[in-house]
Formats: sequence, C-alpha cells, structure tokens
Amino acid sequence: MSSNSEITRNGLWSNNVALVQLLGLCPLLAVTSTVVNGIGLGIATLITLVLSNTIVSLIRGFVRKEVRLPVFVLIIASVVTIIELAMKALFYDLYLVLGIFIPLIVTNCAIIGRAEGFASRNPVGPSALDGLMMGTGFLVVLALLGGLREIIGFGTLFANAELMFGDGAQSLTVVLNQDYPGFLLAVLPPGAFFGLAILIVAKNWLDLRPAEKPEPAPPLPEGA
Amino acid sequence: MIAISRRQILISGAFLWLFAVVGTTLVAVTEFSTADAIVENERRVLLRNLLALLPADRLDNDIANDTLELPPSPLLGTETRSTAYRARLQGEPVAVIFNSVAPNGYNGRINLLVGVNVDGSVAGVRVIKHAETPGLGDGIEIRKSPWIRSFDGKSLDNPDAAGWRVKRDGGEFDQLTGATITPRAIVAAVRNTLLYYRQNADMIFE
Amino acid sequence: MSSVIVSSPYVAPGNTLKRLMIQVIIALVPGTLAYAWFFGPGVIVNIVLAIMFALTFEAGILKLRGKPVMPHLTDFSAVVAAWLFALCLPMHAPWWLVLTGIGFAMVAGKHLYGGLGFNPFNPAMVGYVVLLVSFPLEMTTWYLPGSVSGETLSLAESLAYSFGSADIGQWDALSSATPLDHVKTGVGQDIPISEISQSPLFGDYAGEGWEWIAFWWFVGGVYMLATKTIRWHIPASLLVAVMTLSLIFYLVDPEVYASPLFHLLSGAAVIGAFFIATDPVSAATTDLGRIYYGLMIGSLIYVIRTWGGYPDGIAFAVLLANMCVPLIDYYTQPRVYGEE
Repeated sequence: MSSNSEITRNGLWSNNVALVQLLGLCPLLAVTSTVVNGIGLGIATLITLVLSNTIVSLIRGFVRKEVRLPVFVLIIASVVTIIELAMKALFYDLYLVLGIFIPLIVTNCAIIGRAEGFASRNPVGPSALDGLMMGTGFLVVLALLGGLREIIGFGTLFANAELMFGDGAQSLTVVLNQDYPGFLLAVLPPGAFFGLAILIVAKNWLDLRPAEKPEPAPPLPEGA
Repeated sequence: MIAISRRQILISGAFLWLFAVVGTTLVAVTEFSTADAIVENERRVLLRNLLALLPADRLDNDIANDTLELPPSPLLGTETRSTAYRARLQGEPVAVIFNSVAPNGYNGRINLLVGVNVDGSVAGVRVIKHAETPGLGDGIEIRKSPWIRSFDGKSLDNPDAAGWRVKRDGGEFDQLTGATITPRAIVAAVRNTLLYYRQNADMIFE
Repeated sequence: MSSVIVSSPYVAPGNTLKRLMIQVIIALVPGTLAYAWFFGPGVIVNIVLAIMFALTFEAGILKLRGKPVMPHLTDFSAVVAAWLFALCLPMHAPWWLVLTGIGFAMVAGKHLYGGLGFNPFNPAMVGYVVLLVSFPLEMTTWYLPGSVSGETLSLAESLAYSFGSADIGQWDALSSATPLDHVKTGVGQDIPISEISQSPLFGDYAGEGWEWIAFWWFVGGVYMLATKTIRWHIPASLLVAVMTLSLIFYLVDPEVYASPLFHLLSGAAVIGAFFIATDPVSAATTDLGRIYYGLMIGSLIYVIRTWGGYPDGIAFAVLLANMCVPLIDYYTQPRVYGEE
C-alpha cells in the first residue's frame, strides 16, 4: 500500500505521466502552443483523472474482471463527454481552440492506465489522490511546455487568457518583446517534440545530479 | 461448471448494461441542462463574427436568424449550399454577409465572410478558415495584419476591373510581403462576391 | 573475412577525413565563385559567417562534451557543412538567420546524435529546414541575378544587410522569385510554361545565371569523382531520377510540366546530387543502396517541386531519404560468401 507522500511524489515527479510514462503525448504535443491552451487541456484531463479514479475505486469490489475494461471505458467516456458539454456551455471560446482534443481525452492512455493500474486495487482516498497528483503532474508539464513554446514561438506569455478567465484576464498577457519576430518552429508540431525533449532532459538531469543528502539517490526514471 | 459460468456471464452482462444505462443517463442529463447554453454560445460566436463586419448600430434585426440558403455558385466559390445573413434597419435592407470561398489559395481553399452593403460596396471581409503558410500567407488574418481591411468601402466601380488586382499584377491592392498568391486569391474572391451580389441583389432581399 | 597481412614499411595514411574534406572544398570553389559572380558578394558573406558560427558552435559543444577540440575543428567537416548550408540560404540573409540555422545544424543535427559519424541526418539540411519552416519570409526573399537587374549589392551593402544597419526595403526592387518559384506560381495560375519562360528570369535553358552555376557545380562534382572523393552511384542515380520523371511528364504536357533540362539546371539539383546527397555519414553505404538512395532523393525532388508546397525540395528529399538509410543498408548488404 502506497503512502500518501509516495503517491504524491509518484504523480508529480518520479512517475510523471508526460515526462516518465510518456503517455497522452498526442494531445500534449498538439495543444501546447500556448500556456492557456496547455492549462485548459490539463485541467480537463485532471478532472477526468480524479473522477474516473474515484468512480473506478468505488466500484472495484463489484466489477467482475471479465468486464472491467469495458466498464472503465464507459466511465471514462461518460466523464469526458460531460466535461466536454460543460466546457461548451461555460468556456465556449476555449472549447473552440482545444476542439477535438477534449473528446480525445478518452483515448489518453494515462487515464485507463491509472484506472486499471491503481484505482481498481486501492481504496477511494488514495485513488482520488493518485488521480489528482497524476493529473497535476500532467497539467504542470502541459503548462511548462506551453510556456516554453509560447515564449520562444511568439514572445508572449498567457496570450488569450481571456478565453479561460473572462475578459478581465486580457491584462494577464505578457508581451516580452514587442519586436520579437517569432520563431515558428516552436509553434509548429516539431517544436512540441523539441520542447518535450528539453523538459525530459531537464528532469533526468535533475534526477542524476549527485545527491547531496545522505538518502539514496532518487530511482532512475522507468521506461515508458 | 457450465451453469456457473453462464451465471457469471449474465451477471457481468447485467453489470455492463447497468453502467451503460447510468453513464448514458448522466450524459443525457448534462446534455439537456447545457443545451441552451451551448446554442447561445454558438449564436454568440456567429454574431461576433458577423458584427465584426457590420457595426451593431447599423442593424436592428436578428441577423443570425435572418438567413438565406444559396445554391452552389462559381462566383461565391461554393460547391455546396451556403448561408447568407441579411442585415436590416427598421425593416430596410442594409447589407448581406456571404460565406465565400477563394478556391485558389497557396494551400487550397480560403473561407471568407464577405459583407456587402446594399449599394454594392464592401462592408468588410474576414478570413474564417485557411491553410496558408504560417509567417507568410497568414497575414490575411485580422489579428496578424490589417491587410484585410483594405477592401472596406470598395465596390465594382471603385476601383475598376483593372484595379481589382494586387499591385504586382498592376492593381490597387497590396500584396503581403513574400506572399502574392494568397492576396491574389482573396482579391478575386471578393470581387466575384460583389459580382454575385450585383446579379442577384433582387433575389437576396426578395 | 580474412585480411591480407602486409609487412613493413607502412605508408602513413594521414588524416583521411581531412584530405577528403579539402577535396570537397576545392570542388566547391568554382560553383561558389560563379554564384557570387551572378548574385554578388552577399553569397561569400553568408559562407564566411556560417563557417565562423559553425566553428564556434563546434568548439563550444566539443568542450561541453569533454572532447578534444582542435582535431575536430581542423578536420574541416564543420567548414564543409557550414559552406553547404550557406549556399542554400538566399544570397542576402540577416546574421541571426545564419546563426540560428547553423546552430541547429551543429548542435541538434550533429552533436546531439553523438557528433561526426553518428548523425543520421545531413546537418546542413537540418539547419536549412529549420529555417525554411520557421522564417519563410526571410528564406524566400531571393534576389535577381546581376545580369538581369544590372546591379547586385556590393560587399559593403551586403554586410549592411546582414548586420541590420541598412533599411532592407530599399532593395525591394531587386528581390524576385527564383525561376523554380516563378514556374510553380505561374503553372498554379494556368499560365502555359512557354509564356512563363518569356520572363527575363529565364536564360537559355533554365534560370538566368542559375544554369551556369549548375554547370560549375557539375565541374566540381566531376573533380570529386576524378579524385575518388565521392563515388558515382548517388549523383548518377539522383540525376537520372530527376531527368526521367521530368521527361515523362514533359512529354505528357510541356505547357504544365517544365522540361528535364530546366529541372536539372534550376535550383539545387546538381549541387544536391554531388555535394549534399553524397555526405558520407548520412548516406547509404552499400553500392546498390546508394543507387536506391539517389533514385529516392531524385524522385522526391521532382515530386516536391511539382506537387508539393515548396518550390524546391532537395532538403526535404535528403532528410526523408536519410531516414530510410538503415532500411536501405539492411536490404542491400552483400551476401557473405558461403552463407544463405
């Protein structure tokens, strides 16, 4: 049984969905051209993860193992559809930007992976926490990647924040350099791969630094 | 043995059915409770696009619903039926907004909203969908460059037919730096839309 | 395999890579001079800048990787890569464009894969494609040959252009599409090629100026063949593919598809065949494989030029073929004697 701190560290760092498990890459690479897009998809995925983990954990005693995967898929699909509808009703402009990638959360392997690998064999509390932490880990990477690409690609930060936070948030947008010509590569799909690679390198570099504390070095990242 | 496994199958099936019912119910409830808001959002975005071409004080009708279905037309560049939106002020026709297509962009079709005043002049043009090269042809987007505003107020006689070209071809309209084909396609599409309006003006406002 | 044992005295082979690279540089000189003759000293400015930046990047990253710096700097491989990269650029380019491109070529294209000998992609083409995708405006601002416009930018003007101390707009009148670009946009508007080629951009066989530059690249290529710097398989099969495809379509409709001679002498076909596709690290390594590799690049060049989104396609063709090299090599290994 995992302790809460271990679940937290797993989700945020040592078993991070995007940087270590390398799951959910399709939406990750496709929508992270700006911070706001990244956060938007990140939050939607986070909510899906928490809800699906909680529900799966609640019913884990009743579901026979022959039908567990179809049941999980049903749960996830329902949750995602509900989130999609809610988003269309509440954040329509952001929905227009993220478009197809919201329904595609269903196919994010991280979600069924956590349902099958964690929630179906742990109590509700830890499962919800696991969903929250895995989702947060994913969200943070989406936001970082979005920020990296937005700064390099457009020279701005938090552009289009009004899509998510309403018109008042327009002032959140930071223009770092008025004359920046823009570096399209960062905005185009290849930039997503370069950016993710940079983040993975940074994480591995931090992990492999010689630990100054006496405790054993953090475990090497597991394979995808 | 057989009896047990059949029972298991039934239980599993029932369970799956139960989840399908619960899931579908939840989705249906959400759909029902958000439907109005979603329709309203879609209308709002459509209105925002339309009102970008026509200031709100020029019309008082429900433009998003005062629509006209147009058959496919080579002048509009449409291959399927398209929708036109009519603006009126106190019942009098003010302008009509066409969904036009410039078929010959650098990377294929460019979808436009072209507003035409009742006197045949351009109320405004916006690009709503295109696949032009980022950094070159995408200067046709209003958020990248004000170029698309250069059509405002133009009509078939102002400039004359020779003027409805990009400067490189001897006309009046600027090309974008590094991109000639994209502006050329849009200039032609806007002019064709005006021609369409001239030929069909009577039909459009009945 | 048995090896023949030879007794002393041995002749020291010297640094073979270095000798190879010097031959390539010698072969590049006539074409480069012709290029500068038609388009002005901006060409040379690009090359010098690219080489300086390339050596700086190379030295910096070798130091970071804890490798010896001097032997690698003096093997001239970075110089050749930078030279080829600079030749792909428009004749006038701002300095930061050169810096970004060659930086990507050296760091991402070469050293991140493990340095010379380990890079699956041609570094010069990596740098060029990054620029083409990222800065389409700067990368498609070409200039007229001096024989058409009557003037080219002087050395001082080229330097001013590169380092941003001049208003670039003042030379707008001299800028122009390349002949390949001209044909592509013309055909896109349904103008027959016989009419398109009336433009002063066109010379006797292909683009004004370009056809002679291609000739001098060819001379350089023949020199490299004669000195056994490269082998004939890749250039021959590449050019045959371009010629054959363009001939077939030319015979179908000469008003829509440009002539084989035009395709051969325009853009980067010849320099691509002899200098770029033959990069020994990223090309196929078996003789039969080299022929497939050349055919593939040649066909892709024609396909991209004719139906693709870009007027010329050497860089994309080479990178795509680079990806296929492991496969090509695997299936073209000569059978070991005695084995099935």
